[in-house]
Amino acid sequence: MPPRASKRKSAPPNSSTVTSSDGRSVSSKAKTKGMEKIDRLFNSYANSSLGVIDPDGIEALCSDLGVDYTDVRILMLAWKLKAGKQGYFTQDEWRTGMKALGVDSLSKLKKALCELEIEVGKPTNYEDFYTYAFRYCLTEEKQKSLDIDSICELLNLVLGAQFRPKVDVLVEYLKVQSDYKVINLDQWINFLRFCQEISFPDLGNYDSALAWPLILDNFVEWMRQKHG
Amino acid sequence: MSNQKKRNFQIEAFKHRVVVDPKYAEKTWSILEHAIHEIYNHNASGLSFEELYRNAYNMVLHKFGEKLYSGLVATMTAHLKEISKSIEAAQGDLFLEELNRKWNDHNKALQMIRDILMYMDRTYIPNTHKTPVHELGLNLWRDNVIHSSKIQSRLLSMLLELVHRERTGEVIDRGLMRNIIKMLMDLGSSVYQEDFEKPFLEVSAEFYMGESQKFIECCDCGDYLKKAELRLNEEIERVTHYLDVKSEVKITNVVEKEMIANHMMRLVHMENSGLVNMLLDDKYEDLGRMYNLFRRVPNGLSTIRDVMTSHLREIGKQLVTDAEKLKDPVEFVQRLLDEKDKYDSIISQAFSNDKTFQNALNSSFEYFINLNNRSPEFISLFVDDKLRKGLKGVSEEDVEIILDKVMMLFRYLQEKDVFEKYYKQHLAKRLLSGKTVSDDAERSLIVKLKTECGYQFTSKLEGMFTDMKTSQDTMQGFYASHPELTDGPTLVVQVLTTGSWPTQPSITCNLPAETSALCEKFRSYYLGTHTGRRLSWQTNMGTADIKATFGKGQKHELNVSTYQMCVLMLFNNADRLSYKEVEQATGIPASDLKRCLQSMACVKGKNVLRKEPMSKDIGEDDAFFVNDKFTSKFYKVKIGTVVAQKESEPEKQETRQRVEEDRKPQIEAAIVRIMKSRRVLDHNNIIAEVTKQLQSRFLANPTEIKKRIESLIERDFLERDNNDRKLYRYLA
Repeated sequence: MPPRASKRKSAPPNSSTVTSSDGRSVSSKAKTKGMEKIDRLFNSYANSSLGVIDPDGIEALCSDLGVDYTDVRILMLAWKLKAGKQGYFTQDEWRTGMKALGVDSLSKLKKALCELEIEVGKPTNYEDFYTYAFRYCLTEEKQKSLDIDSICELLNLVLGAQFRPKVDVLVEYLKVQSDYKVINLDQWINFLRFCQEISFPDLGNYDSALAWPLILDNFVEWMRQKHG
Repeated sequence: MSNQKKRNFQIEAFKHRVVVDPKYAEKTWSILEHAIHEIYNHNASGLSFEELYRNAYNMVLHKFGEKLYSGLVATMTAHLKEISKSIEAAQGDLFLEELNRKWNDHNKALQMIRDILMYMDRTYIPNTHKTPVHELGLNLWRDNVIHSSKIQSRLLSMLLELVHRERTGEVIDRGLMRNIIKMLMDLGSSVYQEDFEKPFLEVSAEFYMGESQKFIECCDCGDYLKKAELRLNEEIERVTHYLDVKSEVKITNVVEKEMIANHMMRLVHMENSGLVNMLLDDKYEDLGRMYNLFRRVPNGLSTIRDVMTSHLREIGKQLVTDAEKLKDPVEFVQRLLDEKDKYDSIISQAFSNDKTFQNALNSSFEYFINLNNRSPEFISLFVDDKLRKGLKGVSEEDVEIILDKVMMLFRYLQEKDVFEKYYKQHLAKRLLSGKTVSDDAERSLIVKLKTECGYQFTSKLEGMFTDMKTSQDTMQGFYASHPELTDGPTLVVQVLTTGSWPTQPSITCNLPAETSALCEKFRSYYLGTHTGRRLSWQTNMGTADIKATFGKGQKHELNVSTYQMCVLMLFNNADRLSYKEVEQATGIPASDLKRCLQSMACVKGKNVLRKEPMSKDIGEDDAFFVNDKFTSKFYKVKIGTVVAQKESEPEKQETRQRVEEDRKPQIEAAIVRIMKSRRVLDHNNIIAEVTKQLQSRFLANPTEIKKRIESLIERDFLERDNNDRKLYRYLA
């Protein structure tokens, strides 16, 4: 999870003592037992006054899952849940997500996380996940770009495993250059394409006369100069 | 007659066996044979044409054509063999004469023989497909005389010998040559070609190869070409005098190849006398000769053109990068024009106005003028100089000529929008200071620019002229409605429409009381007649004429800038003013104020003010006084001038930056226009189309275009296609 300042206001609720004060557990009898369990799980992390899982809750969830909250798998989870706002899971999102994963308990969720990695890795999903990652980080309403530092961290998180050397060099460049202070979605998407298509480290098949974003043209030139 | 038995008359067919004499053919033939002998022996006068004709006729009639014909062949052949021997016996030069004489004899004989044997020619020969008499005579001559082993080679070598002699300057018997050559031609084109022309061409090639080698070692380019031309003309003349006309193109090809084509590069690049030297020295005659000779050979003209082009580009490049020459923009442009004139001259006088050369000239100029990115500014400064003073007293036609030349340089510019920016600035200064030599000339140039670039290019410029005119009318109206002001200071206001004039930061200063009151009156008058407008005084652009009386009573009229006026008027109320007091009272920005004070206190002849200390620069602690000792031989003294000058580095950067900024929306507009109509287009095509659309104003940079595309993507005007990376899509 991209770092977000969070202060613990109260001790995280223990998953075994479920208390829900807004009467959510009183719902129509049509709900299956599975949904009940899902809701119970939800409530164990949710912020009672807001009715959603907030950053604190997510941190707690992470620790229970045995994953660091900066781990990319949490991002994948957010993707699966189609979470709209960074750092928060609504109940609907939770329900949809858990159902999609076929999970209603913490232990099942743990297992599902591993499978989720594989699922995200599929080509059809990967680009979608990649784009989602960017959007997920846009916090303000009309925001269209992310600052360089956030981008670098996101690149590391999302692409690091698969494209380590490329990501390293790209991140180095982004930090060094001064033409762009923010990156927009169009450029973000092209980073992935770049990593996927261009041979490395020679960059032999890169053609700057094509429709690559200018930032990548500059990057290639910088790389070529650096390596003589 | 008595009665006799009736007898039937029978008319019997006339039988041709009138002559039964078996020796008839023999006898007749020998008569004819004898005649032929006589003819060949120049004894024809004793013969009876009619009798011989009849004999021949009879022979053919009585079916003895075969005998007649073969007899003819035999007899003639025998005679020709004799003739051959006599020709062979001729010595030296007499050989050809003898041949010629015998040929003439033979022809005469042949003529007579043919006449005699005409009946055979017309009947027996066609029927049997045999060679007609005349042709037979020629063939026999050819086979027995010309191709006889002792004559054939001797004939050829004599002919070639004579040609060679003539080439080395001797006079030969051209008539004789003509006859002999004509003989060969008469014998058939293959005889002419095989027995003369082919060897002639070969020998000529060798000769000219040697000639050219000799010349090129010792001659310079101009001389060599003269010699080549001479030789070429000589050969052409030779053909007209004694060769077959069809040989002309063949021999000229030989000369062209040997003398010109083979040495083309060496000639063109010859040190100190080659093409480049000829160009530098305006050697029209030599250049013309080179042009005429080289156009005869393949790649000749393109060689000249290429060398000329690279030379031009070289000197052009030197010209535009030479720091010395760039110090004076007017001089710089004049040099460009001079260079263009020089080459126009060369092309028209030496290269017969060849269009391909004109094109090469144009492309070279376009290349090097754009190497220096200050060219647009300099050309505008040149025009400015001309319109201020350079064209004073020049006739209308000459004005047009100069303006047309300027337009021609303008056309070469790639960054026409930069020119427009500078031109506007300079024009504004000219108009406002009233310093233009001829209104007509100004307008004429605008019209030319409009024709070249379209209405949009000049609409703002025209707006400036309109403003000037309108301002005049406004002033008239102002004074008409305020008759009480005619006694006071005269105000002349030029109201400028903001969009048309170059943008200036509007700084106001504190005007002297007399002036500001007047200005206010004008402002209310103007706004009274024009609603919804805003006026801001541009005090950095105005001028003033003030009358001054100095210490010893000397009176002068000073023509100054508005700022200078503000400063001077202060001294009506104070004898001494410090820099700071002046600054505060006038509100003029520091750098302008310093310049203004400097021009009035530190310049000889214009020092209406005195400064303490007397240093050259203006210091913040300086004090100023009116210079009571000021003198000038002129009553009217001009102090402030607002002349257009070459921009300083920072100014230049600023202008360029503004130009770049202006280009961005133009590029975007072009992209949107193109995408709107095409809907979907790939990257390379967008770049090409946009560049083409903007060509008439400036050369669009592909990187800049890419930036604009990305900006448009970000603002959701365009998007990238999901599948094909190279495509862009227009988002309605």
